[in-house]
Amino acid sequence: MVMGLYESFVYSFLATIAFGVLFHGPKRTLITSGVIGALGWIVFVYLRQHLEYNSFHANFFATVVLALASEFSARIFKQPVTIYVIPGIIPLVPGLGLYRGMTQIIDKSYDAGMTIMLTACTDSAAIALGMMMVASIFRVVKMSKDKRRLLCK
Amino acid sequence: MSLKNLNRKQTLDIAMALGKVLLKNGAETSRVEDTIERFCAKNQCQDVNVFVTPTVIILGDEQPDGYNCVCRIRSRSINLSIISEINDFSYNVDKWELGYEETLAYLEGKLKEEPPYNKWMVCLASGLASAGFSGMLGGNSHDFIAAFVTGFFSMLILKQLAGYRPDAFWENALAGASIGALALMCCSVSVQCTLEKIIVGAVMPFVPGVAFTNGLRDYMAGDLISGNSRIAEALLFASSIAVGLAFVLQAWRNWGWDLW
Repeated sequence: MVMGLYESFVYSFLATIAFGVLFHGPKRTLITSGVIGALGWIVFVYLRQHLEYNSFHANFFATVVLALASEFSARIFKQPVTIYVIPGIIPLVPGLGLYRGMTQIIDKSYDAGMTIMLTACTDSAAIALGMMMVASIFRVVKMSKDKRRLLCK
Repeated sequence: MSLKNLNRKQTLDIAMALGKVLLKNGAETSRVEDTIERFCAKNQCQDVNVFVTPTVIILGDEQPDGYNCVCRIRSRSINLSIISEINDFSYNVDKWELGYEETLAYLEGKLKEEPPYNKWMVCLASGLASAGFSGMLGGNSHDFIAAFVTGFFSMLILKQLAGYRPDAFWENALAGASIGALALMCCSVSVQCTLEKIIVGAVMPFVPGVAFTNGLRDYMAGDLISGNSRIAEALLFASSIAVGLAFVLQAWRNWGWDLW
């Protein structure tokens, strides 16, 4: 089923803001993290449903986009990156996959359950990889900047 | 007054309190270790070793006669506001005005601080999150409203029972059971609802997707033990929700009523 990008944006924006409240995020960051979460989700929907990437790649690229957006907003608003990344990955994160896999296993359909659980694992790995990659790029940039400043002195 | 010229014991005290506040409010392992190491290094204690898992912080010297402290963390919740405040503290420690005693009292106060949103806001947010997810996964307007009601009341039930301090397993199983019951009720009220769309929306506030992803991220960063425990916790929570839900749906089916 192909979903419209606009309505996906609205729904994921609402869900991300609600999760920001559930995680007790600071009030002034809620709107920004909502936009970041929605951005990640529409990139995912576009790649997965319109360009038909596989699930791993779609998750990875969506996470890279939203992690970049969160790093920039963390720099702009002087907040730790976690404040934006944790609510932002909420639409992508395969909590539903874990739950569905467990339901299948309880229902004694072990094959389907394991398939769903392993898919959830690889999706999580894609998201974690994307987050780590962006974070380490920014760390390298910051370190080289510090080194240059030290050399100038 | 400032946090300069602390001796070794005072530095370790404040570093421990910092780590405790961060870990109790859901910061990642690497962030806790990083904050503690940075604070110690600023106070001329570069040789302090720190080991953090989701349930314990160990902080100490390498020398056999050095200081050593251990802190057991029993309950964790996610509170991003406090993480943001502690982050401000640790980056601006040079401009910090309080002295040693006051800083310790400030950090202790952070442990007992009420979260910024009250119970009703959290329930409303849970409803909104459920509704948003049921929309994202292709539900119609009836599903949207039903998921809102289900998410709202299941979180309300949990919050009302939180005073009795149930175990994590029972808490999540109860959440699953109440979601199942409420979703079945919504389906019997309106014909246009689909049970699956309501349930997938309403379980979202409870399923541990973020914990699972953070666990994998811990693995990749080399924090193997904390990765293990986070993933085990996530699997436990997912299975307890599934158990609660399966229990209710099975009971409904056994009484001979239809499933939608």
